[in-house]
Amino acid sequence: MSSASTSSLPLALSGGTRLAGGFLRELWHDKPAAIGLLVILLIIAMAIFAPLIAPYDPAAQSLIARLKPPAWLAGGSWAHPLGTDHLGRDVLSRVIWGSRATLLIGFSVVLLAGTFGVIVGLWAGYAGGRVDSLVMRLVDIQVSFPGILLILLIVSVIGPSITTMIVVLAVTNWMVYARQVRGIVMSVRQTAYVEAAEVIGCRPGRVIFRHILPNLFSPILTVAILEFTNIVLAEAAISFLGLGVQPPATSWGLDVAAARDYIFIAWWLITFPGLSIVATVLSVNLFANWVRITADPQEREKRFARAQAAKRRRARGDQATVPAE
Amino acid sequence: MNDTFRRVLAAAVFSAGSLTAGAVLAQSITIAIGSEPSTLDPQLRDDGGERQVNDNIYETLLARTPTGELVPSLAAEMPKQIDDLTWEFTLREGVTFHNGEPFNADAVVYSVKRVVAPENASEQMAYLGTIAGAEKVDDYKVRITTSGPDPILPSRMYWMKIVPPKHAEEADLAAQPVGTGPYKFVSWNRGSDITLEANADHRDGAPDVEQVTYRFVTEPGTRLSGLMAGEFDVIVNLPPEFTATVPKFAAVRGIETSTIILSTDNEATRDPRVRQALNIAIDRKAIADNLFLGYAEVAKGQLIHPNAFGFNKSIEAYPYDPDRARQLLAEAGAEGSTIELLGESGRWLKDREVIEAVAGYWTEIGLKVDVQIEEFSRYLDRLFDMKVRPDAYFVLNSNELFDADREMSFAYEAGAGGASNSEKELAETIRAARTETDLEERSTLYDKLTAKLHEEAFDVPLFNHQDIYGMSARMEWQPRVDGKLIVKEMSVAE
Repeated sequence: MSSASTSSLPLALSGGTRLAGGFLRELWHDKPAAIGLLVILLIIAMAIFAPLIAPYDPAAQSLIARLKPPAWLAGGSWAHPLGTDHLGRDVLSRVIWGSRATLLIGFSVVLLAGTFGVIVGLWAGYAGGRVDSLVMRLVDIQVSFPGILLILLIVSVIGPSITTMIVVLAVTNWMVYARQVRGIVMSVRQTAYVEAAEVIGCRPGRVIFRHILPNLFSPILTVAILEFTNIVLAEAAISFLGLGVQPPATSWGLDVAAARDYIFIAWWLITFPGLSIVATVLSVNLFANWVRITADPQEREKRFARAQAAKRRRARGDQATVPAE
Repeated sequence: MNDTFRRVLAAAVFSAGSLTAGAVLAQSITIAIGSEPSTLDPQLRDDGGERQVNDNIYETLLARTPTGELVPSLAAEMPKQIDDLTWEFTLREGVTFHNGEPFNADAVVYSVKRVVAPENASEQMAYLGTIAGAEKVDDYKVRITTSGPDPILPSRMYWMKIVPPKHAEEADLAAQPVGTGPYKFVSWNRGSDITLEANADHRDGAPDVEQVTYRFVTEPGTRLSGLMAGEFDVIVNLPPEFTATVPKFAAVRGIETSTIILSTDNEATRDPRVRQALNIAIDRKAIADNLFLGYAEVAKGQLIHPNAFGFNKSIEAYPYDPDRARQLLAEAGAEGSTIELLGESGRWLKDREVIEAVAGYWTEIGLKVDVQIEEFSRYLDRLFDMKVRPDAYFVLNSNELFDADREMSFAYEAGAGGASNSEKELAETIRAARTETDLEERSTLYDKLTAKLHEEAFDVPLFNHQDIYGMSARMEWQPRVDGKLIVKEMSVAE
């Protein structure tokens, strides 16, 4: 039944979606990655449709009903399924609304810092020589400069807001990409196919983007995912200092930071926004791992081989068990 | 024979000495304070962390009892006022600094001149305002002169720590504090801790606690964990939710009052009706009962502390009435307008929570509140920036002088401190009250001032706060009303 529907699908669809369908089928074989993607999509949907889903205004307070536990504990009620915080605000609504700032900041910063860092790294690694040492010294200087000082400086000039936060975190976090990329570019430049491309007269742009960049995909993805986690936590710290997300808006990180003081008497304040961060980072990780392998021809070949070997082993194992009995 | 006796005696004294030395280890305590001192120079900064340490190393001419009464300390008796501008202090004899320098008139004159010297730009001048200079009469008599008549000069001398002149000139006072107090400085590991040891030669005898270590822990949660783990003996600013959790706690009505200063010049808060609406929109009782669990009282409609001279007994807090607030806003045509509310986070107990709760109440009466929680130094810059005033800012004012002049000069005197108005007449009355020497007349002036400030709602007075300390089971200590951590008043039950 399922094989019939999948085989009839490509006939009806255009080339692009056939490709996407192929990837989806491949993804379905990697269950954790599929679940990861599902969770990511759910969280994104939650962020987009926050006003429709959230049962309360996240800023609506009720001091009399503060620190109420989640519904399933004694003293909790289904009016506030995840309980209320130190000002009597609904934790569930805050988790739903908090996803907006967290995702926006996390993804934007990784994208901005990543793009800038990769371009700088490519340039330094490809040009080499004086350009390389100059650019890399700049990176060294910024790495040694305390990030929080730079953040204070920039925010005091522009004033705290989500946009400022994105810019500031991007400015203080691009260096790791540049260093990573530069290293890989240096080594890839020595390979035969890049030299060949240069010898037959390819322009630098073509060499960089066509022959070198694809090699960067999987390491950069790994760095970006690690950085995403970092950014979420940095955002929490900065917001708590009063330099980032301002009330009544909220973010997961800010709620985690504010809940620290109540950890002994109201664990639910820190747990649910914390779990949301964990779920997001884990899902991104699982999915990205699959993307990395899928995007890398060699890795993909290995995975295919492993799958085939496993299938053969299973088949053989089935035959082998019969005579044994 | 005589010689043998002396030797035996010496041995006995020695072993007694080593016995006490053995007990020393048991008598050391650790106090977790909220911030690391920016310096240990006792005369430059207005820094709570610095005071928490230096209050034990240095002494002042006058001190306060734990209940707030002014008593002589380095002075032998209470000062005599010679004329409007001159006060005479007789000094205690036979006191020496930890490094052996004698305490005398020269030390007092040097200390006064050092703190008022314009090139030192001491932040403590906010407390020492009128002091102009000092002159030596004889070795143990000093006259302190003021720029205008100053009835509260004795309270100011409770603030000014006396430093040793020679050491201050030759060594680095910011890193090597030397005072006359019950504790001597031992070490300062930057970023981690400061250690003091008991001064056995102190005139009141050696204090109970032999050694005290201060640790700098910013977060209340971390301080609490440290106390529960047995790492700390005393922690400051214990969140009231945990008074039942910790081994011991003590609360005392402190000297701090929280308020929100409103700008009378800014467009959004110019209309007195809007400012009154901001006052009656807040359910202060609910915040005091639920957020502070009763460890804060609703302020009596004024920033002046109830223990201070000049407190107006006839004023009551604005009652909570959101409907009336909405009505007032409608009359002023200010429905839906935006009000910026400047604040900070982490400096005072539950500061962020109070700011968010107030913003919530203001939103409920139909205003848009632009909350701006800023990093503390940036917050201070904006608070003292006389050119651009925030519509409203949250602040906790502590009245160490026990006199209304402290609040008046900080919050309402146009052009000074953190005042957000430009009323010349008001400022003149405040200055007149400062230099009025007739107590009754002075009290009448303050009553008039506080009544005007209340009626026209120059601010939103919130709470009189209590100081809550968490303690380990072995600590014995009754906190002071002036919020000082005086270690010689602590003892350890073993």
